[in-house]
Amino acid sequence: MTPRVPGIEPSDWARSQLVLRALMLLGPVAALLASGPTGHAAPWWLVGVVAALAGVWAWYTDVPFGAAPLLVVIGWWAAALGSTTSAWLLVAAAALLVAHVAAVLASYGPPAMPVDRAVTRLWVRRGALVLLTAPVAWGAARALRDQPEQPGIWVLGVAVACVATLIATAALRTDQEER
Amino acid sequence: MSSREVGRGGAASWRSTTALGRALVVGGLGIGMAVLTGEPAIVVLVAPFVTLAALSLVHRPGRDPVLNSRLDHLTLREGVGTTSRLSVTGAEDAELLVRITGQPPYVVARPHGGRVGRLLDGPPPEVEISPRRWGRRMLGAERVALYSPWAGYRFGPVALGGQWTRVLPVTAPYDSRAEAPQPLGLVGAHRSRRTGSGTELSGIRPFQPGDRLRRVNWRVSLRTGDLHVVTTRAEEDTGVLLVLDALADHGVSDGVDGAASSLDLGVRAASAIAEHHVRQGDRVALRVVGRGREQVGYGAGARHLRRIQDRLATVRVGDAGEPDTGVLQLGVTGGAVVVVLSPMLAESVGTVAATLTRRGVAVLVVDTLPADARPDLPEGADPELAALAWRMRMLERAVVLDRLAALGCPVVAWRGPGTVDDVLRRLARRAQLPRVVGR
Repeated sequence: MTPRVPGIEPSDWARSQLVLRALMLLGPVAALLASGPTGHAAPWWLVGVVAALAGVWAWYTDVPFGAAPLLVVIGWWAAALGSTTSAWLLVAAAALLVAHVAAVLASYGPPAMPVDRAVTRLWVRRGALVLLTAPVAWGAARALRDQPEQPGIWVLGVAVACVATLIATAALRTDQEER
Repeated sequence: MSSREVGRGGAASWRSTTALGRALVVGGLGIGMAVLTGEPAIVVLVAPFVTLAALSLVHRPGRDPVLNSRLDHLTLREGVGTTSRLSVTGAEDAELLVRITGQPPYVVARPHGGRVGRLLDGPPPEVEISPRRWGRRMLGAERVALYSPWAGYRFGPVALGGQWTRVLPVTAPYDSRAEAPQPLGLVGAHRSRRTGSGTELSGIRPFQPGDRLRRVNWRVSLRTGDLHVVTTRAEEDTGVLLVLDALADHGVSDGVDGAASSLDLGVRAASAIAEHHVRQGDRVALRVVGRGREQVGYGAGARHLRRIQDRLATVRVGDAGEPDTGVLQLGVTGGAVVVVLSPMLAESVGTVAATLTRRGVAVLVVDTLPADARPDLPEGADPELAALAWRMRMLERAVVLDRLAALGCPVVAWRGPGTVDDVLRRLARRAQLPRVVGR
């Protein structure tokens, strides 16, 4: 008799993997539902579509398809809010980032492989660090909301973001070399 | 037990991950949408993705790592474990290492079933592997992947080949104080029928020319007025032929710490009996009745025991395809004890046990059929019909065992230590008696 090989059935999945996949499923849905308090609640059929897309993504973590639920959510926010900059945008950004980071952690190995705590802590710190860019962008958007649009403002914004990324990378590399 | 390199990483390269692709697509499309529509809300949503993508791209690795794995031991007993160690060189650009160990049947791995992912801030994680059943097992096969910082790039997964390893049967706790029925050798631990220079008292007889003076019994000599000497019984070794029935495997095998099939019981019992007799200085031989027809001639010593256990580890289940229309030729020598380890469901095994018993050979049958054994049903078979056939087979088996018992061939179920003590003692007593045997 050949014993059953573990790791194939969902019952054999590691608990941490189940948590990560739940976050992948709930993240885009929460980001979509966050538009409700702004007065632009998403229709239920759209919530269903996003939940279905996120569910497929949570099942097959390491597939390019994972961008689909995120893009649908971003498209809805762009269509629903227009030029308004609600604070609920930050909630939506956090939810999307949590789903993405959960997918990164889940795609490190098969579903039966539990995620190491040190790796989880590292990505929690990274996620929190990266999420800081959202309130910065949100503050800049609010500050520039009533200003007349300057020619080349978007190019300047992207250039500033690139420079900020390079500075952050240099700082992180120095930090790693010291370790 | 020596260690050996069992795998070396083949050609692989760093490739971008789906996480990087997702961040680039979301960030790029988001920025593009924001520029086209002039909606700053989109920038807020995609700003973290743009940052993640940028950080991943900046940490693009430049060197390809080299991976090697090795096992600490290449000969194992079932239930005993070894460690699979991985050496990684040139992995300065990598941040995380993931090892996914293969899951062949009857092999367990720790931690987490051999699936482990750790940061490369120390030595690579080790994986402990333990085969749970005797036989040939592939150990150490695995797939290894490395990830760059921020999970932008992945190296591998690289398949590292494993090593076919012979897993020896576990040494079941077994001991016997019974004597061999017909010791007929040179020097050993069993009392022989003939007198010789042993230590066990055989009798006292009148002195004869050639007797040693130190054997004179002075008390009897003074009482009788004639010289009398003490005689002792010789101590000899014996030959033990282990016959293992591998024509079929009945019952469920869950490894060394679970349920045992008929072949599990047979192999482990053969290993235990062989070890016991080799330690007593006896000559032990092995004959496997099965597809592989493994055979080991008579011999003694630790090296011979290892040879027997190696053969037991390679036993294959299946029809022997014996020549001479199914009559087994075991090559039994005079004075040998034949221990047949069998579930006694094959006619040829029962026949050979009966034939040898009729010839006066000391034969002992160890019944290895588990109590809960059930037939393996082929797909589409009628369960009621199969149950009926199995009951009929059990009845036939009972008849065979009764006939063997009537012939004087004891049949015992394997119970570990002391299993064959009683029957070996009875065989030894019976061997002292004169009798007529068939030729």
